[in-house]
Amino acid sequence: MIPASFPDRARIDARDKVLGVARFSADVPVTGVLYAMMVPARIAKGTLTGLDTAAALRVPGVVRVLTEADFPAPPPVIENGPPPPPPTLEREIAYRGQPVALVVAETLEAAIEGAAAVVCTYAAAPFAALIDSEGGVREMGEEIVFGDAEATLASAAVVVEGEFLSPTQHHNPIELLATTAVWEAGRLTLHEATQGAGGTRGMTARALGIDPGVVDVKSPYVGGGFGQKGGLGQRQTALIAHASMLLGRPVKLVTPRGQIFHLATYRPLSRHRIRLGATAEGRMVAMQYDAEQEQSRHGIFPSAEYHETTSRMYGIANYLGTSADVRIDRQPPGWMRAPHPQASGFAMESMVDELAYRLGQDPVALRLANTGDVDFRTGQPFSSNHLNACLEEGARRFGWSSRTAEPGSMTADDGSLVGWGVACGSYPSMMVPAVATLRIGADGSTRYAASGHEMGQGIRTAIASVLLESLEIDPERLEILIGDTTAAPQHITAGSWGSAGAVPVAMRAAARMREAVAELLDGREIAGNLHRRLATVRRPFLEIEVSEVGPGQGQDVLQALQYGAPAVAGPAYPTFTTMSYIAHFVEVRVEPTTRRVRVPRVVSIVDCGRVISPRTAESQVRGGVVWAIGAALREATEVDPRYGGYLNNDLADYVVAVNADIGAIDVGFIDQPDPLANSAGLKGLGEVAMVGASPAIANAIFHATGRRLHELPIRIEHLL
Amino acid sequence: MTDDHSVDDRVPPRNGLDLSRRDTLKGGAVVAAAALTGAAPGPAAAATDVAPLPSAPRHGLRLQTTVNGTAVSVDIDTRTSLLDLLRERLALTGAKKGCDHGQCGACTVHVDGRRVASCLTLAAKLEGREVLTIEGLSEPGTLHPMQQAFIDHDALQCGYCTPGQIMAAVACVAEGNATSPERIREYMSGNICRCGAYVGIVAAIEDAAATMGRG
Ligand code: FES
Ligand code: FES
Repeated sequence: MIPASFPDRARIDARDKVLGVARFSADVPVTGVLYAMMVPARIAKGTLTGLDTAAALRVPGVVRVLTEADFPAPPPVIENGPPPPPPTLEREIAYRGQPVALVVAETLEAAIEGAAAVVCTYAAAPFAALIDSEGGVREMGEEIVFGDAEATLASAAVVVEGEFLSPTQHHNPIELLATTAVWEAGRLTLHEATQGAGGTRGMTARALGIDPGVVDVKSPYVGGGFGQKGGLGQRQTALIAHASMLLGRPVKLVTPRGQIFHLATYRPLSRHRIRLGATAEGRMVAMQYDAEQEQSRHGIFPSAEYHETTSRMYGIANYLGTSADVRIDRQPPGWMRAPHPQASGFAMESMVDELAYRLGQDPVALRLANTGDVDFRTGQPFSSNHLNACLEEGARRFGWSSRTAEPGSMTADDGSLVGWGVACGSYPSMMVPAVATLRIGADGSTRYAASGHEMGQGIRTAIASVLLESLEIDPERLEILIGDTTAAPQHITAGSWGSAGAVPVAMRAAARMREAVAELLDGREIAGNLHRRLATVRRPFLEIEVSEVGPGQGQDVLQALQYGAPAVAGPAYPTFTTMSYIAHFVEVRVEPTTRRVRVPRVVSIVDCGRVISPRTAESQVRGGVVWAIGAALREATEVDPRYGGYLNNDLADYVVAVNADIGAIDVGFIDQPDPLANSAGLKGLGEVAMVGASPAIANAIFHATGRRLHELPIRIEHLL
Repeated sequence: MTDDHSVDDRVPPRNGLDLSRRDTLKGGAVVAAAALTGAAPGPAAAATDVAPLPSAPRHGLRLQTTVNGTAVSVDIDTRTSLLDLLRERLALTGAKKGCDHGQCGACTVHVDGRRVASCLTLAAKLEGREVLTIEGLSEPGTLHPMQQAFIDHDALQCGYCTPGQIMAAVACVAEGNATSPERIREYMSGNICRCGAYVGIVAAIEDAAATMGRG
């Protein structure tokens, strides 16, 4: 049973957060803790030939320096198993910034000084730092082909083509990577900011050759994830765990941001060549799209997924998609918010805008005429697609009808060039298995434990919303345990499947609990809330456990969940495909002399199925738009071709959007439940929020200036 | 939960200064827990202990300062930042480390009523000064109008930048810089919110500024 709509409710953990008492991993107080600091490699590739720790050990307070010799050999690779854990310490250097030693000290100051005092010698090897560097190895990915794109393009009335570039970018959540390991009485507790406590547990156990059954991982609050604290594991985790086990004391590491740039995953630079064909009336009929990206030597971030959304967006029946990795000597890239569609969407939506101009059509009208109900890639229907409603509502709110199409035709009173742009986005709506336990006490307490990680997207609030809507319980004493392997098996929370993994199972738990209460009361009418009713019949508590799997998934995925392995279904389910959609309308102002670009207002309308937590959902969309503004106008990580590594590895030089960059962001939801995707009728939100907003800005800049820019970020120098 | 006995999960006391953690009762630097600010003074001031430095630094000093209205006397390594003193020695973890370079604002606290990046402030410079952190901003069980406004406008997502945003916001109003959305945006741009809660933050500050009477 899905309520017709969910009420506006304050973020459930907002109070703790504004009071500063929400405990992030580095905030957990631990007695007798030692502080760690990693020593990063100063070469981009080669071998560590010597490591002199004498000076470091003389620093007052330094307790130990761990080196490669202190760690077990890497575990064997499991065929078709979960991804291997990150390596620990090794002598072979694969990228600049790879840790080569770990200094552990009684104080943070001593650890920092000790790490600086470790002297390393290396045998350097030639390396490739950039996608075009000599020594890069090109490797083709899976081809996505349906229909006959080549023939259709050859006969199409109109063909637009272009090549686009999206730069290297780093996630930069404000919370730093942080791990505190407590080894005590045969158990290892890891307080770590992670989007996948279960995966962290499994990977750490495998890296160190210990039983995962003795490892507990707690990540109740994550200070922003955006994919950085997700799938591939964090390199520091096993180092800190091992240090704690060797030294018999808790060990804490908060990794400096400058090191994180070199250690964590990132959005790889990617290039996109598109040919898009249409009929003279503006029906898009064929597309050829070649994507390539920078990749580490052994990285697994898949290149073929650039086609995931572009192949499904506009009912294009003939598609030829290729993709390639260029393997170079950097740390592995990974999933960063709106991973592939941020880049592929920039390319495609720029092309669609160009097509509209070539055809002399309005870019909104052109899109409205091309959306469809069928996923040509699988031949299946979409379970729901309200993109047209998003476009229509967005155009209405934005006032699109008063736009004049001619580039440079609109100006503001202060002489600024005004540009109005539109672009759409979509993102796969996926689903993961979950197990939940719900316990309601006669004493007024409610305890709910399930899989999920709170990174600010509002998953805890969505769960609370469901429980409080369907059960008469005391909201003040509702405890929601997520991100904790001791409470429930933890699936990685990423890819916008957080709500799909958390909400349907919460609904099922609430329904089961209502049944259990009805059975218990057996027809007796008792006044009061559930706690009161339990107390009246002298039942201390009721506890139920439920599980949920995605469409087409068997119960065996619950097994994978126990081991912390990913078990993701969708977007192509057995009989349908499920995507979330968004339409962004953007106004830019371009200063005529300095060419400075401002974004005073954005309207974003979303089809994410049923909205469970309206307030946090709205914030999440605004956040996605802020990310897109940063990506469109500011963010690029500069790789150093001479020495490897990154030149702008701090927040002064890696420029993200600040308050003064952001104007009004009006968010709306279609709020129509998807009938098939899951029992809650919801679709994913966190990623789609960002998709399409960067190209909407680029299209608005074209409208303001007549300049079609093919490379992000768009900076003043590109507009002079 | 099992085996958590070395983790101290207690809620911080009213001034947020958790000076009597059982694990630290080993002697060492003495803190005079003087009378606190606010309407209801606590029990008579008692001498309690801060965890001593676990190893003697090359250069140390005894710092006497005031944190959230409590007199603190503590031996420090001279290199220690105010942020690390608060977080690692005084168990005041509300101020966050986001960059340690003065670039993000997550560590914002007040010193003598002015906002500072505590990561860029040497603890040694606090001799005789008054430090206010998020833990001391409101009386126990209550919220400062800025905290309430942040909840009302959902001016946060992950919450990691939030204590710094709120301390900066309170100062922004007190400075007289909360007079228009444009001015608020400008004067709050030293506090990065990667979650992108800026629209809510501006709305919250406008709202709280009206309540605080310094709009
Ligand atoms: S931690 Fe101090 S400004 Fe970022
Ligand atoms: S709320 Fe996450 S960084 Fe601001």
